[in-house]
Amino acid sequence: MPTAIFIQPDGSRREIEVRTGQSLMEAAIRNGVAGILAECGGSAMCATCHCLVEEAPQSLPDIGDEEDAMLDETASPRQKNSRLSCQIRMDATLDGIVVRIPAEM
Amino acid sequence: MGDASAVQNSAGAPVWDMDFYSDAVIRNPYPHYRRMRDLGPLVWLPRHNLYAITRYDEVRAALEAHHALVSGRGVAANDTANGMANANLLATDPPLHDYLRKIVAAPVRPRALAAIQDRITASAEALIDRLLKRDTFDGMGDLAHFLPVSIVSELVGLPEAGRENMLRWAAATFDMLGGDNARMQAALPVVREMRAYCEVQATPDKVRPGGWVAMLFDAADQGLIDRDKVPVLMRDYLGPALDTTIFATGHLLHRLGKAPDQWARLRARPELIPNAINEAVRLDSPIRGFTRYAGQDYPVGDLTLPKGSRVLVLYASANRDERKWPNPDSFDIERQVLGHVGFGHGVHACVGMQLARLEIRSILTAMVNTVAGIEVGEPELALNNVLHGFAALPMRLQAA
Repeated sequence: MPTAIFIQPDGSRREIEVRTGQSLMEAAIRNGVAGILAECGGSAMCATCHCLVEEAPQSLPDIGDEEDAMLDETASPRQKNSRLSCQIRMDATLDGIVVRIPAEM
Repeated sequence: MGDASAVQNSAGAPVWDMDFYSDAVIRNPYPHYRRMRDLGPLVWLPRHNLYAITRYDEVRAALEAHHALVSGRGVAANDTANGMANANLLATDPPLHDYLRKIVAAPVRPRALAAIQDRITASAEALIDRLLKRDTFDGMGDLAHFLPVSIVSELVGLPEAGRENMLRWAAATFDMLGGDNARMQAALPVVREMRAYCEVQATPDKVRPGGWVAMLFDAADQGLIDRDKVPVLMRDYLGPALDTTIFATGHLLHRLGKAPDQWARLRARPELIPNAINEAVRLDSPIRGFTRYAGQDYPVGDLTLPKGSRVLVLYASANRDERKWPNPDSFDIERQVLGHVGFGHGVHACVGMQLARLEIRSILTAMVNTVAGIEVGEPELALNNVLHGFAALPMRLQAA
């Protein structure tokens, strides 16, 4: 199964398995990764699954309109590599993706 | 099987031959939903000339399949209401829907909500202080109504006469979205009254400056939408802004009152409040279901929903599906509730869900500090074709 690495604001790293087709947010919640709140459940409506993509094996799908609008309103300021983890669906090409959780959600 | 489950319609869907919008089913819907789920993921409701999607996986898939199961021909369970649907957000499809949604959703995005958070929090704290001084009160009229009616209706910003009618109009709007019955027929003149008000009375000079409705007029002035779309999009605020939040609040208070151990756990761990809200919306979903029109043949399980048919997507049943949720009928504030469809799912997921959460969270946050115990009496159900919630809920709060 492909894996994703989540880095906490304190620098600690955790590697978790993500089912193909599952979002990074969903995998984080199911594995109890701290910091990812995902209040809206994956509808790109709350910005509480904000993550910073540190390394991606290949380029990610484009940012959608809803996601783009929401990223403008994140608690930690938006960075160039900001994404909503609910909008990143795992597939084999993303195996090993590394995302950082921002200090404020 | 010798009962009705042996009966199928021409598409092979099992038949559930009951009135889904009758008083009896509305008063006690959950055993009926279970029966419908057991019949299959797609069932036929001959009384309403309607299919229903009953199980979690299929409901979620249907809500993602907005290209096949469209909203642009209305989302009601009767032809009259669907014939009146005129392209508000609820009854449009992408790409128009997505464009309009950005405009309609502007006041309930995170930054806009952050701007009103302190006011809502203070208002909730004062409310709970007042209620603690009373013996018994109505958990609906005195508590659940308060923030939506006192703050949200002002944010929407209709002139006073319109604001006073919002609850009545919203109840009628949801009655109209059900099947063609006496409740739906009684709602029609009220909905027409609301529409006339939006067209004629809610003019730019009369609405509250800076309010949500005023923002729609601003969007028209900026050329983002046609001026004649404003009264239509206004209704996306009037229908769902109050009742749904009120009912979700009432359900959560009722559940916590019935389960003192869970209230104690929530007081010890207030960080569970957001999850407790989601769990209440899963368990007692305020919206039973909306319909879609099948713009093409659409597979559900082993069957095919035929092109041209109408299908009821049952959020409230999906959220109790034993194929998805362990102990689906039990209330557990620590349940992993991610993925419930109580706010819908997909492109039409509830626009105001974060405002609703903010309101309910503010009430509970005020309560965990000051309320040791919640006592609830027998609730009185509000009979509505589409909404599921209480008209009244006797309550008493014990001070901490």
